[in-house]
Amino acid sequence: MLIDSISKALAPLNLEAVASGDYAKTGYHLEVTALPEQLPAIAQALLQENCFLASFTAVHTGPETFTLVYHFASFDELCRTAVHATLPKGAEAPTISHIYGGADWYEREVYDLYGIRFAGHPNLKRLLLPEDADFHPLLKEFAATAETEK
Amino acid sequence: MITSGIEEKTFALNLGPQHPSTHGVLRVLLEMDGEYIVKAEPVIGYGHRGHEHMAENRNYQQFLPNMGRVDYLHALAFNQGYCMAVEKLIGVTVPERAEFIRVILNEMNRLTSHLLWVGAYLMDLGAFTPFLYCFDDRERLLDLLDRITGSRLTYCFFRFGGVPVDLDDEFIFGTRAFIKRLRSRWVDYDNLVTKNVIFINRARDVGIITREMAVQYGVTGPTLRGSGIPYDIRKSEPYSAYPLFDFEIPVGENGDILDRYVVRMREMEQSLRIIEQALDKLPNGPIMAEKVPKRLKPAAGEVYQAVETARGEFGCYVVSQGDIKPYRIKLRVPSFSNLSILPEILKDTLVADAVAILGSIDVVIPEIDR
Repeated sequence: MLIDSISKALAPLNLEAVASGDYAKTGYHLEVTALPEQLPAIAQALLQENCFLASFTAVHTGPETFTLVYHFASFDELCRTAVHATLPKGAEAPTISHIYGGADWYEREVYDLYGIRFAGHPNLKRLLLPEDADFHPLLKEFAATAETEK
Repeated sequence: MITSGIEEKTFALNLGPQHPSTHGVLRVLLEMDGEYIVKAEPVIGYGHRGHEHMAENRNYQQFLPNMGRVDYLHALAFNQGYCMAVEKLIGVTVPERAEFIRVILNEMNRLTSHLLWVGAYLMDLGAFTPFLYCFDDRERLLDLLDRITGSRLTYCFFRFGGVPVDLDDEFIFGTRAFIKRLRSRWVDYDNLVTKNVIFINRARDVGIITREMAVQYGVTGPTLRGSGIPYDIRKSEPYSAYPLFDFEIPVGENGDILDRYVVRMREMEQSLRIIEQALDKLPNGPIMAEKVPKRLKPAAGEVYQAVETARGEFGCYVVSQGDIKPYRIKLRVPSFSNLSILPEILKDTLVADAVAILGSIDVVIPEIDR
């Protein structure tokens, strides 16, 4: 089972939590909580297990914190792994673009929308917004439109 | 000066942003050495509308119409992905008849998307006639979909808990007639294109995607299956009514343009099979779940729901903090990952192949830009 071999591969990394998820409720088979600096090692382990990076994004969870959310899946066997890492505002996250080529654009997108910088990213510039934009639209303090529902 | 860092012996060439074969506003910055591409860099974002930001300042129902405008060619799959994610959050079960209707309409929408791709792609390669055949067939599908959903392109039809309108006899009759018609057309498509030696020689061994590249970049959909990997979420992570139907996942061998074309053609026949079975087995019953609250206020939590669109895995990641508005919605769109592989496969190819390769991965630009 892929879920077992992933758990085994992640075990030596000394992560905060590696637990099986409630698939019917969240769509995850495995939920991992880690520190940002452990992310490259996790990505490396998941690449060894032939998983691909399905998606990566951030959530502005608190005024001073972000949660980085990585979704991994596999072409061979159904096992969706979610990796969560909390990052304080202003801190840099490590890049995993040298491990997963696809992470290059995802990290640029997160930088674009949230202003989170990725240490070691080869080409960290805006992806979706114009180069001269001076805002990061998915920060909770950014308000582009009036409230639609009172 | 377009970009810095280009050596003197090479020159920069802009493909797009206004170019008929990019099918949207996409710019690819090519660094050329004579006729060969040294480096390709896609520049995206021209169609960025901020869907994910919009999601955060409206309630769950108000975000539904946005789903038809992300991937306008397979809008119903996006409808379904988002509806299923929210249904999971609020714990609503969709009645069986509604699931069947969703599958039927979804597969018809997949057919319209593939037909458009076949026509438009072959036109990119210089063949005009197939385009007319494809649009003739596609038009009939659009009429049928229009009859039920009320729109031809940017569908906003599925609701949390089911569908709002039931299928009628005329639709069922028309769809059966269409299945028969499209099947009789495969011979024409085969003779015109699939067995056409000019097309085969143009497409063979060009733009090869390997398994390693696909894992690196998260390539999904027919673009992936052309490389021989049978990853289709309808089968590998069954959802809705798909487990009840018998269908195959066509795969290619070499991962070149020809394989991706053949996979899409064969997939259309599988879609017809699914629609046929669903019409045969269509159960009676309600089309909406009972007791779906008007004012949705899901408990705090998060969900990732993946569905198979015509281009690959659409993942709808919804975070709720117990409010009437979503706290965060991330749309994992297939074209985004599929396009990010472009620099890799365009490297060291002829510029004449650039358009052929770009078209073969079937990108929808508004989906990438969101």
